[in-house]
Amino acid sequence: MVEGQAETGIGPAIVTPRRGGAPAHGRSAVARARRLFHYLPLLPSLFAFLVLLGYPVLLAVVISFQRMGLRELVQRTTVWIGFQNYASILADPTFWAVAIRTLAFTAFNVALTMILGTLVALLLGALGRWMRLALSISLILAWATPALTASVIFQWLFDSKFGVVNWALTSVGIFGDYTNHSWFATGLSTFAVISLLIAWQAIPFVAFSLRAGILSVPSEQYEAARVDGATDRAIFRRITVPSLLPLFMILTFLSAIWDFKVFTQIWTVRQGGPAGETVTLAIYAYLKGIAGAQYGLASAVAVVMVVLLALVLIPYIRTMLRTQEDL
Amino acid sequence: MKPRRLRRIVVNAIGLATIIAFVFPVYWMASTAFKQPGDIQTYVPKFVPFPPTLDNFTTAVTRPYFPDYLRNSLVISISTVVLALVVGLLAAMAVARARFRGRRSFLLLVVVAQMAPFEALLIPMYLVLRQANLLNQIPALILTYFIFTLPFTIWALRGFIAGIPVDLEEAAMVDGANRFQAFWHVVLPLLAPGLVATSIFAFITAWNEFLYAYVLMRDTANFTLPVWLATFRTAFGTDWGGTMAASTLFTLPVLVFFLLIQNRMVGGVTAGAVKG
Repeated sequence: MVEGQAETGIGPAIVTPRRGGAPAHGRSAVARARRLFHYLPLLPSLFAFLVLLGYPVLLAVVISFQRMGLRELVQRTTVWIGFQNYASILADPTFWAVAIRTLAFTAFNVALTMILGTLVALLLGALGRWMRLALSISLILAWATPALTASVIFQWLFDSKFGVVNWALTSVGIFGDYTNHSWFATGLSTFAVISLLIAWQAIPFVAFSLRAGILSVPSEQYEAARVDGATDRAIFRRITVPSLLPLFMILTFLSAIWDFKVFTQIWTVRQGGPAGETVTLAIYAYLKGIAGAQYGLASAVAVVMVVLLALVLIPYIRTMLRTQEDL
Repeated sequence: MKPRRLRRIVVNAIGLATIIAFVFPVYWMASTAFKQPGDIQTYVPKFVPFPPTLDNFTTAVTRPYFPDYLRNSLVISISTVVLALVVGLLAAMAVARARFRGRRSFLLLVVVAQMAPFEALLIPMYLVLRQANLLNQIPALILTYFIFTLPFTIWALRGFIAGIPVDLEEAAMVDGANRFQAFWHVVLPLLAPGLVATSIFAFITAWNEFLYAYVLMRDTANFTLPVWLATFRTAFGTDWGGTMAASTLFTLPVLVFFLLIQNRMVGGVTAGAVKG
């Protein structure tokens, strides 16, 4: 979905549109009809948003208050149980372990992506022309690789017997002997591989966006600072960093949203294993809902997920509104 | 002079290491795909696939149902693109060119829809499609991917349209063209690059999607390529050559398309977000 490759780059192309367009100021019936005419092209989209998106969201909330399993689904019966689904997930120690694990996993991945992404953006600026071109191409390769392919490749790289990573670590020598080392034996080590995989794919977008941001800081500001005798370090701290702050915030929010709900990579690598140690909320909802056919319970998990995401989404949208005068 | 040269060397060394880190996984996929079967599972890895072979690709392509998966993926991705483009263009045109009450709310709705956590909406989507008797049907995935890609399509096209000076249309209309003619003869040709970029994005999204394809389709003949690829390991056991060949085939169109549009994808978030 947009995640997989949406993850690859949902930089919404933003070009500030001209103010103006076609104002309809008249108060006559014709003008009113013309104004209504503006809404006509919006109808298909509105219909799609309401039916294909709004209805499922509403349904998730409604079902989260029902007991809904295969039996209820086949017999088409409705059993209202109030907050019982919420009570039972909140009383489930597994749910809490999963929720905390998901937050920790998200925080770690966002930090890793943002720190390395910033360093790569600075590296792009420091390199010469040809090296910069080569680095850009290699970043695009990683960015374009579908999440699914990347998950398959990383399993091969980290294969215990013939994986090239184990061979390389063993050859270097200082890390000890990694022959036949299994990366997927513990939850933490499996997460390490998954985080590396997510960062590998997410860094290019962050790096390119920050690089573009750095380049679009007006050069007069730098020139003025230089005339006033500012050092490179002062220029970076006083001009580059503050100018990039809103962009940095947006990228952090986007990464948090994407990493929080990631499914494909975790599922493809070990289906939440070993022994459920890499189950995150997205996997948990899938296991409860689709695999376990407990639709009511899974909907409650989905609602909890959306509420947690909203905590990140609301500041994101506020930042968007501040930086987009057109919205 | 000397510390500067040292700095150059250090920066270039870091650059080289970074390049290798980002290229190597992709290279390893392609190189494994072209290796002789005996050269893949070796304790000391062989870095160059020589002499190369196409055997792994033959294995991948001759798996049962492969033509079905390919056809499903193409039908679904192309239908998604067409649907999203037609519906999205209408909305984008209105939002970019006209000022009306509710315009801001509509744009806000698009931003929120763009951020919708589809992974969390899996269960209700599944139930809705089940209710509509669309489970295990190709149109279910087309509709799902259409709503995934619509917000971005509107958002991106709105930006591209706004970049085309409105004077051009006005001039055409002064010369006697009606609104539709002005759009067809003036805006559309200028919008072509934007339309291409947006449709490639929608295509890639639909082509790559895994979770919904995995959950909504039951019959093997209705699977898409990502589902095929994800089940490869169980089907192929430890045949990494076949797996990597399949991955290469699946990734190649995405890479080509992506290279065509990548500089348009980058400009995105940044445009409004740098304080000038």
